[in-house]
Amino acid sequence: MPRPQAEYFRYAGPGIVRAKPKASAPTTGVGRAYERLRRTLIGTPLATEQEVEERLSKKKALAIMSSDAISSSAYASEEILNILVLAGVAALSLTLPIAIAISALLAVVAISYRQIGYAYPSGGGAYAVGSANLPKIFALIAAAALLIDYVMTVAVSTSSAVEQMYSAFPPLYPLRVEVSVAAVALILLGNMRGLRESGNIFALPTYIYIGSALFVVGSGLLKAFAFHDVAATGYHAANVPTPPGGFETLTILLVLRAFAGGSVALTGTEAIANGVPAFQKPEPQNAARTLVAMAALLAIIFVGVTAVAVSYGILPGGKESVPALVAHAAVGTGPMFYVFQASAALILILASNTSFNAFPRLAAILAQDHYFPHAFAFRGDRLAFSTGILVLALMACVLLVAFDADTAALIPLYSVGVFVSFTISQTGMVRHWWNTRGRGWTTRLGTNAVGAILTGIVALVVASVKFTAGAWMVVVLVPIIVATMLFIHREYAREAEELEVREDLVFGQPHRPQRVVVPVPGITRAVIRAIAFGRTLSQDVRAIYVTDDIEEGERLRERFARQLPGIPLVIVESPYRQLIGPLVTYLDVMEPDPDAITIVVVPEYIVRHWWERVLHNRTAERLRRALIGRSNTVVALVPYRKEHAPTR
Amino acid sequence: MGESNGYGQFARVVLALNGGPTDQLVVGAATKFAGRAKTDVVAVHVIEVDWTHDLGDVVPGSQQRASEVLDRAEAQAERVGVSLKTTLLQARDVGAAIVDEAAAIGADLIVAGLPYRTKFGGEFAMGRVVPYVLQNAPMAVVVVRTAIPAETADGSERRAVARD
Repeated sequence: MPRPQAEYFRYAGPGIVRAKPKASAPTTGVGRAYERLRRTLIGTPLATEQEVEERLSKKKALAIMSSDAISSSAYASEEILNILVLAGVAALSLTLPIAIAISALLAVVAISYRQIGYAYPSGGGAYAVGSANLPKIFALIAAAALLIDYVMTVAVSTSSAVEQMYSAFPPLYPLRVEVSVAAVALILLGNMRGLRESGNIFALPTYIYIGSALFVVGSGLLKAFAFHDVAATGYHAANVPTPPGGFETLTILLVLRAFAGGSVALTGTEAIANGVPAFQKPEPQNAARTLVAMAALLAIIFVGVTAVAVSYGILPGGKESVPALVAHAAVGTGPMFYVFQASAALILILASNTSFNAFPRLAAILAQDHYFPHAFAFRGDRLAFSTGILVLALMACVLLVAFDADTAALIPLYSVGVFVSFTISQTGMVRHWWNTRGRGWTTRLGTNAVGAILTGIVALVVASVKFTAGAWMVVVLVPIIVATMLFIHREYAREAEELEVREDLVFGQPHRPQRVVVPVPGITRAVIRAIAFGRTLSQDVRAIYVTDDIEEGERLRERFARQLPGIPLVIVESPYRQLIGPLVTYLDVMEPDPDAITIVVVPEYIVRHWWERVLHNRTAERLRRALIGRSNTVVALVPYRKEHAPTR
Repeated sequence: MGESNGYGQFARVVLALNGGPTDQLVVGAATKFAGRAKTDVVAVHVIEVDWTHDLGDVVPGSQQRASEVLDRAEAQAERVGVSLKTTLLQARDVGAAIVDEAAAIGADLIVAGLPYRTKFGGEFAMGRVVPYVLQNAPMAVVVVRTAIPAETADGSERRAVARD
C-alpha cells in the first residue's frame, strides 16, 4: 500500500509528525545546486537530538577551547620582557617573579571559573555570574567587553600567524590581508561544520604545540640547571642595550605595566566556563577538569619559557621572537626547533578558534535573554550557532582589512575587555559566596576577592597604558554595545507585551464584520478566482478598478454586471495614472469602517520561470507592501499559476 | 553481502512488525544482523482485512496506525545508523503476506516477533502467524520472543500480531 507521506514525514506520537530532511529539500534546480554546495562545504544537517553526540570530550574540548589561552604562552613572556628591558638589568631580574605572580593570578582566575562552571552550568561565564549577582548593567558590560575581545582575538591571532608566515616566506607580505581573510574563512568553515568536526580538525596542531613546548621547556631547564650549560649565564648589564631615551626608573608602575603585559597569558581562560553546555555529560565536572588541565599546561609552559629565557639571558627586540630564541637555546636548530616553530604559528591561527566557539555561545545566551537579535540563538544545519559564527568572521575580516592585517596596530585593542569581564565575574562570585554562605565560603570569597582586585588593577593598567594606542576604541565601543543591547531588550519587551495573551481569557467566535475588497485590473481568471475566494469570507464583496480611462471603466462595469452579478464594481479614476496610492487612500477615506475588518484579496498571477517576472509589473506585491501594517486590514494574495490555465 | 556478525551473512532482511511489544526487539535484532554492512533491511507491517471488507478497502484509522508502527521502527533503526525501508501491506492473512513479500523481494532472512503467553493450564501459545512463517518461509527465520502480561493475553493472538 502506498505511503506517500513516508518520504517527507514520520509519525512521532499522537498528533505529532516529524519532518524528514526531504520535507525541507529545495525544489528548484538552483536550490538543489546550492544545497549540494552547502553540504559539500559544511556537511549534512544534524537533527537536534544529535546535539548530545556532537558534544566535546575533554580531549577535544582542551584543543578547541584552550587554543587561545595556551597559545598566549608563546608571547606572554616576551610582553613582560618588552617592558622590563626599558629599566635595565635590575628590572629584568623581576621577569620570573612576575611570570610566577601572573601564574598565581591565573590559578585564582581558573579556580574562580571552575566554581562558575559548577554554579552556572548553562554557560555564559562572566555574563551569567553578573546577571545572577550584580545589577544587570555589569553583566552587559562584561558581555560587551568579551564580545569585543573575541573579535580582537580572531583578528590578532590571525594577523600574527600570517606574520609568522611572511617572516618565513617574504613574498607573502603583499598578500597578508588576503591570506588573513582566507585563514578566517577556513576556520569559519571548520566551525560551520559543527563542534565535533571542528574539534577533529583543530585537535592535532594544539597537542603538537603542547608536546613540543613541554619538550623545549624541559630540555632548556635540564640543560641550564642539571647540565650547567655554559651559555646559561642569565642577564648581564653589558648585554642589555640602552633604550633610545635612556633607562627608565624601576617603579611600581613599570612593574605593573610588565605584569599587565604578561597578563595577556590569561586571555581565553573564560572560554571553558562560557561553554560548559558544549561538554559531554557530566558537563560541569568535565569542564572543570579541562579547565584545570588548561591552566596547568598554560602555567607550566609560560613559566617554563620565561625561566629558560631568564637562564639564557634572552632579550626581546631582535629578529627572532623570544620563544624562537628559547627553542634555539633549548634544542638547537634540530627538527624539534622547526616542529616547535611551526606548531607555534599554527596554534596562533587556531587561537581564534576559541573565539569561534565562545562568541556564538555568548551571543546565543544574550539572544535567549532578548539582548541580542533572536537569530543568534538559532542553531544551523550542523547545530552550530551559525549567525554568531558568521558575524564574528565578518567583523574580524573588517578589522583585518581596516588595519591592513598589522598585528602591532591591532594589539592595543586587545585584552582590555577580557580583564573587565574577569573583574565583573570575580566580583559577582564574591557576592555569590556572600549570599549562599555554604561550607568553606570564606576561603572562596577571599580567593575571588583577591582575584577581583588583581584583575581590576590589570584592567585599569591595560586600559590606561594602551588607551592612546587604541584601547580608547574599546572604552567607546562597550557603552555603545551595551546601549544597543538595552535598546534591543526594550523592543522585545514591548513586542512581548503587545502580543501577550492572558491565560484566563477564553476566545469565542469572531464577532467583527468582515468586508472584502478585490482590486481588479479587468476580468481575468485570476480575478474570478480571487472574487470566488472573497465570497467564502464575506457577503460584502466589492471590486475596485483604478484607471485613468473612464470609458474603459464603464465597459468593465457593464461586463461585471453581466458576468459577476452581485459584485459591485467601484471605479476610482486616477488622472495621474497612479495605482497604489489612490487605492489605499480610497480605502482610508471613502469607506472608513473602524468596526469592520477589511480583507483586501489581491489576485496574483504567478509566472513559471524567473525571467518571466520582468514581463509583469508585480502590482500584487507592491499592493501587499502598501497595505501591510494598515489597521484592521488583512491582505490575502490569491495566486493563479500559469499551469492552472485550462487548455482551450 | 552482509558482514559476518556471528549469525551468518544476509543480503536482505525482512522484519515482520506487528505493532506490539516485540517490534523493538525485532528491530534491535535486525540492526545487529545488518551491522555496518550493506544489508537491505525492509520492515513489513500487514493490515489484516477481515471478510466483511473488500481487500482494497481503507479501514478507517488503520493506515495511520500502521504508518506509526513502521515509522517507529524506522526511527529506532536510524538511531543506530541503520537505514530501513518500509512496506505496508493489506491482506487477509498476515503470515502468508509476510512470506510472499519476503520471497518477492528476494529476502534471505525473516525476523519475526513472538509475543507469547502461557495459557491457563500451562500450554505455550504462539498463535498462527509465526508457525505459518516457520512452516512456509523458503528463507531463514529468526523469532524474537517476549512474554506478554497475562491481562493482555485475551486468547486472540491476532490482536498482538496485527492490531489493525
